[in-house]
Amino acid sequence: EAEAPDEAKLELGRTVFLERAQPACGICHTLADAGTEGAIGPVLDDLRPTVEVVTRAVTQGIGPMRPYTDLSEEEIDALAHYVAHVTGAE
Amino acid sequence: MEKIDIRRRNLLAGSAGAVVLLASSRLMAQEARPLPEYVAYKDADGLIVHSNNTIETLRSAQGVQPVTPDRLLYVRNNVTPPPASILEDRDAWEITFEGVGEPRTLTLGELKTMGVETMAMVLQCSGNGRAYFEHSPGGTPWQTGAAGCVMWTGVPLRTVVERLGGAVSGVRYVTGTGGEEIPEGIERLDVLVERSVPIEALDSIMLAWDMNGEPISLAHGGPLRMIVPGYTGVNNIKYINRLALTEDETDALIQATRYRIHPVGTEGSPEYPSVWEMAVKSWVTGPSESASAGMNQITGLAFGGMNAVESVEVSVDGGETWEAAEFIGPDLGRYAWRAFVLSKELEPGTYTIVSRATDSEGNQQPEETEPNEAGYNHNGWRRPGLEVSVA
Repeated sequence: EAEAPDEAKLELGRTVFLERAQPACGICHTLADAGTEGAIGPVLDDLRPTVEVVTRAVTQGIGPMRPYTDLSEEEIDALAHYVAHVTGAE
Repeated sequence: MEKIDIRRRNLLAGSAGAVVLLASSRLMAQEARPLPEYVAYKDADGLIVHSNNTIETLRSAQGVQPVTPDRLLYVRNNVTPPPASILEDRDAWEITFEGVGEPRTLTLGELKTMGVETMAMVLQCSGNGRAYFEHSPGGTPWQTGAAGCVMWTGVPLRTVVERLGGAVSGVRYVTGTGGEEIPEGIERLDVLVERSVPIEALDSIMLAWDMNGEPISLAHGGPLRMIVPGYTGVNNIKYINRLALTEDETDALIQATRYRIHPVGTEGSPEYPSVWEMAVKSWVTGPSESASAGMNQITGLAFGGMNAVESVEVSVDGGETWEAAEFIGPDLGRYAWRAFVLSKELEPGTYTIVSRATDSEGNQQPEETEPNEAGYNHNGWRRPGLEVSVA
């Protein structure tokens, strides 16, 4: 089990999820914590992706999802920890 | 949650003296995700839910069934399905035809007046068996369950094209467009489900409205689906609302860069072969309960993809020695699968049970499938084998 990420990292991750990532994650993904109801890709609350899975999807792309090349390593790390944490994956 | 690693699970289950299949399904059950609402009618006990858009059938549930019922059929949607309201008035569904002498839009009701045929066909996701590639490709780790054999009823495309004045000259592809709704804010071609298949397929393509004798469900592409027999699942466009005979392949990413067979470590692009035709394949589906010494029925499913399946052999010693299995049940034609069985006395011990099919052209399943980056078209016989302890 990974150590719980600190509040600042989770807050940054949520901001990346909702605002910084373009196109915004919520256009395609449902995530209860972020209040999004996108219905193109997997429902993240059900998928419960790990930090590794989120990082891989964001940096390499998967399926119809293209790699996000404009995010910093810190932003991607925060995003991955945020999604994994609020979905209960880690 | 750990990434699913079926290879490790098989090993653990085998060494623990349990039947692999049962053991892995139990492990799956511990982390079971709920069935999404649009497929709530399906049989959760016979399925593995990978995500809301990816659900596969347990091989114990596939058994020896010649036709897979909807409630057990795998689901793979590249994009979440459109709203169920598209099924309210099925006959009013519209599809636009282009690349023909008289391009026009027809309703499903009109298509039904033009002709009708039924065929059985193996519907198999391009990534079925991805879990068996050693390089752990990204994407859903399908085992053997992203496949089913279903009966489609609809009108042959060639009939419709003839009625619309025939193909215009110079066309090389049949391009189908799915009716999924694409939200604003993302590039349309990134997520558009549009596929092109070679024009040679035109004579066998069907525009289907029924599956297994009932109107096609939303999960499986109703009200209208383009069926390309012998081709992998992605080529069978759901909710089809445009069919064009085209000179070039579509630029949609699902055609241009995705669903390409390219070397491990490379990016997909149009220079690599598209994932189109399926190859000969088989797998064992039982025994799925703990096996007892004595007479056992070793069962499985085999199909030839583009060709009829001709024969299948079974090995209980991991491919050292082979015995011919018998086909059981009806022969539903070239594109269907056939169940097979080998009746076999098994003494107490551990067995590695594998199967190997040959098609009507003499093509035989390889031991291993050459790896490709995205993990498509796995048809090797070794990796899907079952390790069974007989007590």
